[in-house]
Amino acid sequence: MTRKFDFNRLWERYGTFTILLLMIMVFGFISPNNFFKQSNFIQILLQSSVTILIACGEFFAILIAGIDLSVGSIIALSGMATGQLMMMGVHPLLAILIGGIVFGGLLGAINGFLVNVTKLHPFIITLGTQSIYRGITLIISDAQPVFGFDASFSKMVAGWVWIFPKPVIIAIVVALILTFLTTKTKLGRNIYAMGGNKKAAWYSGINVKLHTLIVFMISGICAGIAGVVLTARLGSAEPLAATGYETFAIASAIIGGTSFFGGKGVILKVLVGGIIIGAINNGLNMLSVPTYYQQIVMGALIIGAVTLEGVFSAGMKGR
Amino acid sequence: MQPLVEMKGITKRFPGVTALDTISFSVMAGEVHILLGENGAGKSTLMKILSGVYEPTEGSIIIEGKTFNRLSPKESTLNGISIIYQELSLVNELSILENVYIGKLIEKKVLGFKMVDYNTMFLKTKGLLKRLGLRRKPSDKVSDLSISEKQIVEIAKALAFNAKIIIMDEPTSSLTSEEVTRLFQVVRQLKREGKGIVYISHKMDELKKIGDRVTVLKDGCFVGTKTIEEIEVKDMIKMMVGREVNSRYLSTKSEEDIRKNKIFQAKNITRKDRKVVDVSFDIYEGEVLGFAGLVGAGRTELMDAIFGTAPTSSGEIFLKHKKINNKNAYSTIKQGIGLLTENRRETGFFHNFNIEQNTTFIDSIKKSFLGGIGGLVNHKNDNAMVLKQKEQFNIKCRDVKQNITELSGGNQQKVIIGKWMASKAEMLIFDEPTKGIDVGTKSEIYRIMRQLANDGKVIIMVSSEMPELLSVCDRIVVFSQGRIKTVLSSKEATEEKILSAAATQS
Repeated sequence: MTRKFDFNRLWERYGTFTILLLMIMVFGFISPNNFFKQSNFIQILLQSSVTILIACGEFFAILIAGIDLSVGSIIALSGMATGQLMMMGVHPLLAILIGGIVFGGLLGAINGFLVNVTKLHPFIITLGTQSIYRGITLIISDAQPVFGFDASFSKMVAGWVWIFPKPVIIAIVVALILTFLTTKTKLGRNIYAMGGNKKAAWYSGINVKLHTLIVFMISGICAGIAGVVLTARLGSAEPLAATGYETFAIASAIIGGTSFFGGKGVILKVLVGGIIIGAINNGLNMLSVPTYYQQIVMGALIIGAVTLEGVFSAGMKGR
Repeated sequence: MQPLVEMKGITKRFPGVTALDTISFSVMAGEVHILLGENGAGKSTLMKILSGVYEPTEGSIIIEGKTFNRLSPKESTLNGISIIYQELSLVNELSILENVYIGKLIEKKVLGFKMVDYNTMFLKTKGLLKRLGLRRKPSDKVSDLSISEKQIVEIAKALAFNAKIIIMDEPTSSLTSEEVTRLFQVVRQLKREGKGIVYISHKMDELKKIGDRVTVLKDGCFVGTKTIEEIEVKDMIKMMVGREVNSRYLSTKSEEDIRKNKIFQAKNITRKDRKVVDVSFDIYEGEVLGFAGLVGAGRTELMDAIFGTAPTSSGEIFLKHKKINNKNAYSTIKQGIGLLTENRRETGFFHNFNIEQNTTFIDSIKKSFLGGIGGLVNHKNDNAMVLKQKEQFNIKCRDVKQNITELSGGNQQKVIIGKWMASKAEMLIFDEPTKGIDVGTKSEIYRIMRQLANDGKVIIMVSSEMPELLSVCDRIVVFSQGRIKTVLSSKEATEEKILSAAATQS
């Protein structure tokens, strides 16, 4: 009994890393020449950067036993806003700040506000805003992509520092800031508390509505930054960008061990979860699996990875 | 006479601990055998061995002459053993009859197909309910039943399985006194039918009324088995705690001495939903003020109104001559008021946090700014704080980084008291502080409350157990229908006076 218990502890701590290692081994075994190149590892990180960004935001929504299904649409809308602002002649830095970060945060805050006012489950609210935000994107863009930005924009967001692409650095910096928030600030601790027991949180003087608002704002800001990164990487703001990305965000958070029941999870592991999703994508490309089939494999792998996580942590929940 | 079931020399070892050490226990037909012991004494482990959840390390179980070295859950049921847990296991969305026959539906063959025989089940359930005196139709939904009615359905379910031995784990912990009387009638009926009952309870006053024999366990060891006639309640307590437990925790000062310094005032409190109407009272330095009343009298609702977790339409409170702004819990906590909620599990602590995080949480909120979101966590401070509280309140745990759900109810309660004291609260409201807590820990909690009152803290105790109100509180407010009926001093208060005041209709 003791041994099994210890194994659960170990799995809780290192399970996500084990899955990543397993993934690397499988792809490495099938395609050793291409997969193990240093440039390919950088490529995986680069491809994961957008997923990591939204997964870090999604983490907070799941931490309070909620969910945010609108992150994909926020990426598209904030990316489009940033692009249009730049086309209007706004300086890229200002456009990123207003169109990406502030606007993304605002869209998230609207989610939080609606959750607070209607008292509906965030699933319903963000399912609705997912559609609303996408609709707004299509209207303001007239369903046309926006491109032809100043070269400085792409350099600023999608350039390189030494051998590391900037999107990767941005994603890691965001993850580090949020790690600080979750482990060192009272705000972070309150959010965990609320996720564990909302009623007890209310009796401990936590302003549940304020914290819900902040949680969705964080998710929105992360998605807004992801929108800027994606726009810079593509060199164009696409109205249909990031469709279905919420799946990746949720999968990363869950593979990263975040509990769907709330109150449990670690940002750093969500980051690893995001890399796992990136590695799956990359590996499938390596093996030249056709795009349509990739979706099927991707879905199956997500279920597999989460099952693995669930099988090993089942003992913990069963107690 | 041969016992229905006999457990001989039962030992159960878990890695690192011996949970049970050569325990012997037997149940005769037609007897209520009380199993007594503090939390963690091994009562549940013993019963889990009987119901097949655990396998004993050593020892044997003899059921009607047949000897078993271990029982599987299925063997246990087939041999007539049935357990009714404190948290009932009925499915709310199903009817009574479906619950009674869940897992063993009666079938009949129609045109060669197996079909569920609802008619037979309906009639049989009807018979069972009649036997147990429950005036409900078998088709009634379980969600419409009260807790005591649900318990009777659980008993019916056991009887439908032909149970000969029924284990009841704290069956009266959430019942009103009338419901307890009704349950006891059912238990007596079962005795007449020759069933054996194992009865687990922390309520000492009811044991004499219902029990035939008592077995006491302490720290996994057998202390003794006595017939109920040959043992007094205070001896039972001594057997389970291992020492005499003080039964009076009143202030040692005279009434006049206490009535000098008014340190808390509530004036004309009325809730928006009118569950509390125009309530005013005072508390003096050094006293514990009790709130008595029937379930649903509005005591918890009043405490919510004071603490700021329920909206009020009028009323003011003053703590140490300072007016308190009680618009929400954040504000009252900042001004030094604490509430130990009635329902520990649901509102008392964070089950995803360890002992340290739970203990330091209120202090962290109190010292935060910007409505609770501002400020950093100081892990070093937190650790020092929890160690101090662990020491002061004698919290028993392996490690302060242990999850709080691994502690016994009594120790969880001490963590909760510790978290309020760590935040330097000036006033503490204890709402049913000893619910589900064993006698030894109960006395520790009374002692802590008295100590806090002596230190000049404002202490309110809400309780439905009159003996504890009488032994701890210097004055008792009797509450009914959201209003104060009367205030009794410890000298004049008796159970009869409290009950008659609580039951008067306005």
